[in-house]
Amino acid sequence: MTLTLSEAGQNVVAGTFGQAMKRAGEALGSMSGQVIEVQAPMLRRCTAAEVLAMAGGPESVVLAVYVGIFGALEGHALLLFPPADAHRLAQILLTGLLGPGELPIEATNDALVYDELELSALQESGNVTISAFLNELAMHLHEPIQPTPPQVVVEMAGAVLDAVLLDLVSDADQVLAAKTTFSEGGRAIDGTLFVLPRADSLRALLDALGAIGI
Amino acid sequence: MTLTQSPSLLVASIGEMVLSSSSDAHLVAYGLGSCIALAIWDPRARVGGLAHFMLPNGPANGSSPVKFIDTGIDNFLKAMEARGALLNRCLIKAAGAAAMLTVGNGLAIGKRNAETMQAALTERGLSLTAASLGGNSGRTVQLEVADGRFLIKSLSSVTEL
Repeated sequence: MTLTLSEAGQNVVAGTFGQAMKRAGEALGSMSGQVIEVQAPMLRRCTAAEVLAMAGGPESVVLAVYVGIFGALEGHALLLFPPADAHRLAQILLTGLLGPGELPIEATNDALVYDELELSALQESGNVTISAFLNELAMHLHEPIQPTPPQVVVEMAGAVLDAVLLDLVSDADQVLAAKTTFSEGGRAIDGTLFVLPRADSLRALLDALGAIGI
Repeated sequence: MTLTQSPSLLVASIGEMVLSSSSDAHLVAYGLGSCIALAIWDPRARVGGLAHFMLPNGPANGSSPVKFIDTGIDNFLKAMEARGALLNRCLIKAAGAAAMLTVGNGLAIGKRNAETMQAALTERGLSLTAASLGGNSGRTVQLEVADGRFLIKSLSSVTEL
């Protein structure tokens, strides 16, 4: 399904997604106890190859928190972190929970190795962030949007994203991708939130936003 | 053993294929998850090809000739023959078709990709010489046109198939 939007319609959608991305950043900030800066979101139609490029290229290694989206809007959401930044975020989250000096995590030189507590904290960060985004959209739809339980994967970005993209591109060459980047001032934690809605469920959202026919 | 970075690197992006008869060419597909890469190399004609298939079934697609296995595999095989390959003597190897995500509405496309690829080859009287399919790890693959070596890189290792 291809929906054509006027420039005004696109602006309405971009504004709403921007607000939802901001809510997601606030949720991550509240969870981590840090001020999280949210970059102006990018919302565009793109090919699968372009989505992979937006994630840093198919071979870039990421820690990804995946959440499936069901209900009034359907699709996929991923929160991606560079491995070293994911470690830093996990440390911040766990320090907030356990208190300084109580971290049971042994330092490791391997950025790809995470212990169970770190993975659990990062999984929850994705859950909270993506749920905040979806709650904002659900307010416009007046219907619930349900996230699946989150799953954490440390892998090449292409390998994680292709599973999601293949689900979306079977009857379309392009997907609608919303992306923003979170960072924590001073000591960088760069996280990228991707939201990839299923085309056939977009119409309800666009109708609810009044983005069609303006 | 490491994967090569050189000017003769030809990349098969998602839904694309690359072919070469140049002895210094390295054909690469990066970051395969559920996708499946099919590598074909003719030891006599010294021509190689690498296709980065996305999905098992779908209509022929002009912009992505190997997006779908069932309608795209002949595009790849014909392109190899046009370069002088004789398919019956080729080494045919495949990698990918992993299951990266376990939550959601069954994104088990990798398994279907592997099954469809094997069926499509059998239907054409061909078979895989070697394969690294399934599992839950991402793969980057590289075909060396000079000698037909097929390298598979995951986050933890590089192996030769």
